[in-house]
Amino acid sequence: MSDRREVTLVEARWVSVLRAVGVPLLSVLLAVGIGSLILLAGGYDPLKAYAALFQGAFGGEMRKPLEAIGDTLVRSTPLMFTGLAVGFGFRANLFNIGAEGQFILGALGAAWFGLMFGGLPGFVSIPLILLGAALFGAAWAFIPALLKAKTGAHEVITTMMFSWIALYLTSWIISGPLADSATNNFQTPIIPSDSWLPTLDKVIPWLPTIKYAHAGLIVALAAAVVVALLLRRTTLGYEVRAVGFNPTAAQNGGVSIAMTTIWALCISGALAGLAGASEVLGVTHRMFDQVSAGSGYGFTGIAVALLGKKHPVGIIFAALLFGGLSAGAGTMQLFANVPAKIITILQALIIFFVGAETLVTWFVKRRQRMALEREEAADAQ
Amino acid sequence: MKKSLRSVLALVLLISMMALVFAGCTAPATTKPVDSTTTPPPAAKLKVAMVTDVGGLGDKSFNDLSWAGLEKAKADLGVETKVLTSKVMTDYETNLTQLSGAGFSPVFAVGFLMQAAVNKVATSTPDTNYGGIDIFIADPPKNYVGLSFKENEAGYLAGVVAGLATKANFDTRLNAQNVIGFVGGMAIPPVQKFQAGFVAGAKSVNPTVKVISLYAGKFDDQAKGKELGLSLISQGADVVFAAAGQTGIGTFNACQESKKALFIGVDSDQFLTLTNPGDTILTSAVKRIDVAVFSVVKKSLDGKFPGGQNLAFGLAEDGVGLAPFHDFDTKVPQAIKDAVAKATADIKAGTVTVPESVK
Repeated sequence: MSDRREVTLVEARWVSVLRAVGVPLLSVLLAVGIGSLILLAGGYDPLKAYAALFQGAFGGEMRKPLEAIGDTLVRSTPLMFTGLAVGFGFRANLFNIGAEGQFILGALGAAWFGLMFGGLPGFVSIPLILLGAALFGAAWAFIPALLKAKTGAHEVITTMMFSWIALYLTSWIISGPLADSATNNFQTPIIPSDSWLPTLDKVIPWLPTIKYAHAGLIVALAAAVVVALLLRRTTLGYEVRAVGFNPTAAQNGGVSIAMTTIWALCISGALAGLAGASEVLGVTHRMFDQVSAGSGYGFTGIAVALLGKKHPVGIIFAALLFGGLSAGAGTMQLFANVPAKIITILQALIIFFVGAETLVTWFVKRRQRMALEREEAADAQ
Repeated sequence: MKKSLRSVLALVLLISMMALVFAGCTAPATTKPVDSTTTPPPAAKLKVAMVTDVGGLGDKSFNDLSWAGLEKAKADLGVETKVLTSKVMTDYETNLTQLSGAGFSPVFAVGFLMQAAVNKVATSTPDTNYGGIDIFIADPPKNYVGLSFKENEAGYLAGVVAGLATKANFDTRLNAQNVIGFVGGMAIPPVQKFQAGFVAGAKSVNPTVKVISLYAGKFDDQAKGKELGLSLISQGADVVFAAAGQTGIGTFNACQESKKALFIGVDSDQFLTLTNPGDTILTSAVKRIDVAVFSVVKKSLDGKFPGGQNLAFGLAEDGVGLAPFHDFDTKVPQAIKDAVAKATADIKAGTVTVPESVK
């Protein structure tokens, strides 16, 4: 009897893992399938289009592998951070829709500290700049967090509004106090090259030269490990999960919802801030007006967190997928003549199916709960 | 048990679907070399391309005008053309690099936002030629040509029209206050050059005219453009010139809805791009980006790519100019048309030099 019970437990675990991995994969496949129909309707050859997309992201005849992979990695890196940021918020039942604003503040902080500490050697200045940018991102999340904890103001509204403030604030700062006097473009001066994030092959000597890729990837992977440990191995992580799972029970158990909310949103903001810093130190080397404009790393981070099932490992893979889609878009245009907007449609379809899955699960759980309640009611009688 | 069976089935289905997709991804790659051997490309056909900024095609401005230049080159010179649309800023560098890798040259980068990217890629791929629209690189590499425009000369012609029109009475909206207006997007050189030319042109034909200039600080704020337009109109302006991108569309709406001012467009012939512009658009000060792009392609075809320099296209090169009056053509007095023709001739001959900044 006990034997049998163990088997079902193992089985249940496998089913849950399968579901956690399978459903996002299924969403991607469904999106690819419907994308094919759209491509066909537009008069394009889906096989050719997907072949170009795939090679643009991972290399092949149409694009050198090291160039393609580097492109995918460099585009995935900020999404890993913002995905982790939004995912961490989700764990505490917080929807940090304003990761975009924290990203921008992080980028601004990185540019500012970069110009300030630029003279120092990289191994001193880069950690300082990253720390400063994380603090900027956290500070930008702190006010909405405080409002949520003290007054109950919903973080979806406040963090979103803070994104707009961030956008216009930085727009002013880089056209005024931090403006590059050498050009008329709205940007800060360039950060001294000592403080740039080194390329991957400089950090890991046995790697071949991967075009575009920089050490921000390593920081992102480290951040994923830290987030995983934080959630699993620390009191704060336990409290975050407890509040996310059942706030009332957590409170009855002695967890301060207010403090947990503030910590969770600030950590989320810090992660988003690191995304901005990684872009500035690794790619642009200066702050532009609307550095995230068009890319919307903060917003794509929401999709990444959802597709990654809020799990750090899942988020890394989801970020790679979205980064790959973005990297392959150019090759798809070049060799299959497919407009880049199709990629946006694919991304939207993936998000749609992931969202639909959440909806389905919610309905299933609701039905189960109602069935349980009916049973209980029957028992009571 | 039933449940686990179902999940196993789902897994099998999933894997088979994935296998299908991967087969789809790799199959064309292996057959591709066969394709290229059966149909060899025609020898030495020039392949030219452009990369849009995040505005993309359909902006009815820089990107569309550059593409028009390439399309003309395709039709007239038989070159192969390609456009890659940038969705995000990261795309600039990768798109330029991929076009270079695929054998395109020259490759045009459109808009000043691409300055850093085109500078970097031009240095790392010296065998490909690049052209930068509205991009200025000091001391440019041999395989790069910067294409900029003498906006002040186009602005001057617009100023001549406005300065004479505000004194004339060919339209009921023209008042007797002798005031004209200018709306700028951001205070950056191309816009300031339009403004300087506009003021100089107006004063050259109407020394007592009052020119009021306002800046929106943004290129994409139609509400602000409208606000500034209405402000100018309330101060008596009856001809308004906007060099302000999307912001200028708001200014156009202010002129059209108030029925108190005529509008002069910018960059492309906005009579062709705005909705129902006929009753309000007098003319447009245009940058012939298509002409500049075409001329670089033509020179490349002759093996004379004009690299290593920044070219400025003015009236003499047909790189800027004034759009037709369209619906106003019959109303505009001949005196104004003559004045425009004279100013054009004077600038081309060098007897009139148009200032680049407002004193």
